[in-house]
Amino acid sequence: MTAQDYMAPESVGRLQQRALGAGIVGLVACGICVFLYGDQYADRFFHSYLIAFMFVLGLSLGSLGLLMLQHLTGGHWGIMTRRPLESATRVLPVVAILFLPIVIFGMKHLYGEWLNAPSSGEGRLSDLQQSYLVPNGILGFKARALYYFLIWLALVYVFNRWSKEQDLNREDRALRRRMKMMAGPGIILYVFIMTFAAIDWVMSLSPHWASTIYGFLFVIGQLISSMSLMIAVLVLLSRTAPMEGVVQNRHLHDLGKLLLAFVMLWAYFGFSQLLIIWSGNLPEEISFYRTRLYGGWGVVAVLVLIFHFFVPFFALLSRDLKRSARLLPKIAIWLIFMRLVDLFWLTRPEFTSNAVPGLMDVAAILALAGIWFAVFARNLKSQPLLPLGDPKLEEAIEVHEY
Amino acid sequence: MIAHRSHIYGVIGEFEKPEQLVHAATKIREAGYRYYECYTPFPVEGMPEAMAMRRNDVPLITLFGGLLGGLGGFGFQYWANVYSYPINVAGRPLNSWPAFIPVTFEMTILFASLFAVFGMLALNGLPQPHHPIFNAHRFTHASTDRFFVCIQARDKKFHLAETARFLQGLAAHHVSEVHDD
Repeated sequence: MTAQDYMAPESVGRLQQRALGAGIVGLVACGICVFLYGDQYADRFFHSYLIAFMFVLGLSLGSLGLLMLQHLTGGHWGIMTRRPLESATRVLPVVAILFLPIVIFGMKHLYGEWLNAPSSGEGRLSDLQQSYLVPNGILGFKARALYYFLIWLALVYVFNRWSKEQDLNREDRALRRRMKMMAGPGIILYVFIMTFAAIDWVMSLSPHWASTIYGFLFVIGQLISSMSLMIAVLVLLSRTAPMEGVVQNRHLHDLGKLLLAFVMLWAYFGFSQLLIIWSGNLPEEISFYRTRLYGGWGVVAVLVLIFHFFVPFFALLSRDLKRSARLLPKIAIWLIFMRLVDLFWLTRPEFTSNAVPGLMDVAAILALAGIWFAVFARNLKSQPLLPLGDPKLEEAIEVHEY
Repeated sequence: MIAHRSHIYGVIGEFEKPEQLVHAATKIREAGYRYYECYTPFPVEGMPEAMAMRRNDVPLITLFGGLLGGLGGFGFQYWANVYSYPINVAGRPLNSWPAFIPVTFEMTILFASLFAVFGMLALNGLPQPHHPIFNAHRFTHASTDRFFVCIQARDKKFHLAETARFLQGLAAHHVSEVHDD
């Protein structure tokens, strides 16, 4: 088994080209929207851009979370998905660059409510909020974003570096132990930082409203989108050499089980927030659901409940479906799409009561997702598709007849 | 063997290696037998396929238990709050369904797991204080170093002498009848 035998097939190159094409089309469509929307275009652009940004951020960070999870727990599914996960985490530097437009141009279009909040009288923020929600300063919004990305990028760097070293030093058991030791604190760090990031970037759209489980909602959403992506990518790779026959039904079965668990956890977190706010029935808290559960947004909420929870939940209960290389990726891709709908439902009602997505939304997502997938595919090509130095590799790819 | 008149449970054969048993199980199934059971000291790979075991009904029973628990849990709260003892709590509707969900959720899991455990026991015919297979005199080896197959008398194709010969033809050792009491 040499590194050359396990390089990515041509289909990954095609994915890269198509993604790049989609990205360019998306950027052009964004440009067209500028003329379409007239002087409103900047607001509309950043409202759409934020959703697309949170989506691609989730693909990279969810993969970082899963990467650390599989180092911690072991398991054959982790060895099969490790290289795609690492490739997805290595898109994070690009995602960090994609955050720059929000910091440089977008803040007044997105966070006007706390940027322009009066310091006293009607609509004033609490003292804590006034000291936290500031754009500049060493602990301000912009500086915090820098710290978040630095911490995440540091995690991405060490896990990718050690994994690469492991490929060359098959006998070195210390590397395996080191990755395991780092994964536990790493997961805590990722969830902790993501909570702050979710508060800063999305929750602060409506600064008077607060929810402590908000960060977890984003973390679990990111894990769903990343796990779905891994299923789709593994099935795509399994169609041709070198991964043909290596990816087996039992691997898909494990990934499907985890996806089911994540879908249930997502519903659990989402409902926890609803139940507490609904029971409390306080004016400043209930506003979140007043805007999101009535009218057009109410329809979207029901669609999210049915198609992000009930349909995947009942489908993934089936053992046959989880082991099917034909059906499981369909559910996975569907869930990736529903992640977008959920992000749309979380962010957009702060700006408008119109629940119909516009051309700008499609264009922004096409642009950012296109760029993300192009870099992802490029990363996938740069290394063997299996971690060749992992001591458990042979066991993981062993063919089970039964 | 003591020759008293009793019903025959089946005919048992013994093998030294797991592969031999897998092979024998395949042949027995191909010969048309349906009621036979294999006994091994550890799980033998390929055995379920050799015996063409169908999937059991535990998942279905579990699903039914979950649905029963969930609907029952929700239904009971609905009945208690709307019909049996309606109280106005801070002006909320009597059917305050979000508050019912945690109990519904717990009841779903409770009933699903109880149905899974007891359904599994029932499908296995447990509890069963004694089993005729223990009458086979070398059967203690099934938990240490031998691999057994027993073709049961309730099988339509079962014929004491022929089935015993058939097992001997599969190179089984110590082929003997197993009594029912």
